[in-house]
Amino acid sequence: MNKMIVFFALFACGFPASADEVKLTKFQIDTSVLAVERGVDAFMNACHGCHGLKYVHYRDLASFGIDKDKIASWRGDSTLDSAMSSLISDEAALQSFGIVPPDLSMIIRAREGGAGYVYSYLIGYYQTTDGKTGNHFFPLTKMPDALDISSATDPAKRSDLQGKAHDIVSFLAWAADPHEAERKTLGYYVIAYLILLTILLYNVKLDVWSKLRL
Amino acid sequence: MPNRIIKWIDHRFPLTSFIKHELTGYPTPRNLSYWWNFGFLAGFVLMLQVATGLFLAMHYKPDASMAFDSIQHIMRDVNYGWLLRYMHSTGASAFFLVIYIHMARTLYYGSYRAPRELMWWTGQGLLLLLMATAFMGYLLPWGQMSFWGATVITNLFRATPFIGDEVVVWLRGDYAVGDDTLTRFFALHYLFPFLIIGAVVVHLVALHTVRSSNPSGIDLADKDNIPFHPYYTIKDFYGLGVFMIVYFLVVFFFPHSVLEPANNIPANPMVTPDHIVPEWYFLPFYAILRSVPNMVGGVVAMGLSVMIFAFMPFLDRSRIPGGAHYRPVFRLLFYIFILDILVLGYVGYVLPTSQTIAIGQVATIIYFMTFSILPFVSKAEDKWLFKRGLPPKILALIASEEEEKRKRSLR
Repeated sequence: MNKMIVFFALFACGFPASADEVKLTKFQIDTSVLAVERGVDAFMNACHGCHGLKYVHYRDLASFGIDKDKIASWRGDSTLDSAMSSLISDEAALQSFGIVPPDLSMIIRAREGGAGYVYSYLIGYYQTTDGKTGNHFFPLTKMPDALDISSATDPAKRSDLQGKAHDIVSFLAWAADPHEAERKTLGYYVIAYLILLTILLYNVKLDVWSKLRL
Repeated sequence: MPNRIIKWIDHRFPLTSFIKHELTGYPTPRNLSYWWNFGFLAGFVLMLQVATGLFLAMHYKPDASMAFDSIQHIMRDVNYGWLLRYMHSTGASAFFLVIYIHMARTLYYGSYRAPRELMWWTGQGLLLLLMATAFMGYLLPWGQMSFWGATVITNLFRATPFIGDEVVVWLRGDYAVGDDTLTRFFALHYLFPFLIIGAVVVHLVALHTVRSSNPSGIDLADKDNIPFHPYYTIKDFYGLGVFMIVYFLVVFFFPHSVLEPANNIPANPMVTPDHIVPEWYFLPFYAILRSVPNMVGGVVAMGLSVMIFAFMPFLDRSRIPGGAHYRPVFRLLFYIFILDILVLGYVGYVLPTSQTIAIGQVATIIYFMTFSILPFVSKAEDKWLFKRGLPPKILALIASEEEEKRKRSLR
């Protein structure tokens, strides 16, 4: 019986905690080449030091239509065929942060809430009372506030950083699902064809079955 | 010339007579509704899964250190690899959806009743094979949910009496799910579809012996049967068109709705996901497993919840032909059962809380109750309906069929 009381008490405590959870910001992915290009730029400055994209190659950026010179400036000595791996080794990262920063190739697809979650997380940093940074969406995170959004009090500066976060997330969304645009375009053709075919089949069906009614 | 070739073949192989017997001359009840389209659709999805699976296997690496990467290779670098994979992953869900509708139709119209018991039992075998194939296929992407799902489910075999631990190691090929598990699941995932095809052939041979059931529940006289081709071939193709529209909408626009986010994180034996959920098609059975507080009891209940369908021909004791159509109480029972499965599915999906556990336990009891009260309910309903008098429509149908049969025997 005592066990039951503890059991129910635990659940009772659990409920207000979940009600406290911060709401994710609604996020609209920008699929344009320009937004993704800005996103790569911001990513290379703020994220690439620690995070890699092992499934994305520089040539993928080129085939998506991103400016060749820009790509050349980002990749430095690495070839067009090499993956966008992180600049820090796993061992060094483990030593500095106590954790190996996750690869971000699939991050948008690997989180419940997708792009909305990653965006909310990026802009979710705040200054705690003792001068450290905390995060509303991932309190246990070991990642520092890479965009420095927690110290930005000026609204103009803040919205600028939010724009940057938006571009990064748009880029990461493309990185997680690079064929999305192609998939949807093809999808419209396939569905249109199938609707036409099905209408024709329905008419043939009516025609064949009408002979039966005689 | 073509005639001569066909003659040549017919001399050596029953081609023309086969087509005549199984297609152009195969008598099918003329009153079948669109609910009778789903068997054909299941066959189509099976072929789709075999075809896409074959091409995926050409690019996939069944090795714990390469599996996850090879899926990304398929998704990003292989020409239309994303299409093949989304068709295959969506196809798995489509297969279960079609099969569940096919089963629900059988239950509603009482198609499992004599003389179609063997169809129902081969179908039951097909369901088990399908579940095993889907379960093993889900390990192959080697994501977190693949790994932990396989760990949880293989762990259930610990409930085997006396040799539980040994059985688990035997299934996994190792003490924990690992590379050995992945390679054997891949081999079996490639084998099982061919077992399914074999079982489908048996299912179809049985079908062509006993013929299709129909909404009236009575075996119709000759005058009410029409040749399968062209009437049902075109009806099946039209249904296929509608099915493909829905299927490709998911493939092209919502392919991630059937893929768990946690499965996009590579398998990691050191980190357990917050919430291990099976695919939607296993959720009701998973809820039954979790509803029994004792592990062995849960496994037995889950196994029974799948296998109990096989008893339907014995549990339904009514003399009224067909299923729910002319039997209001049976119909009510059917809808309660469907609702109950949906509730169980929800309970299986959410994180267990004291409320959902209680709901799950009630739903589990209702699940087994519907089967266990069926013999008594169907008997009582039978008595009641006969006393009240059957509807004139069904009496006329029974009479016309009797007459037709008598005429046939006179001839």
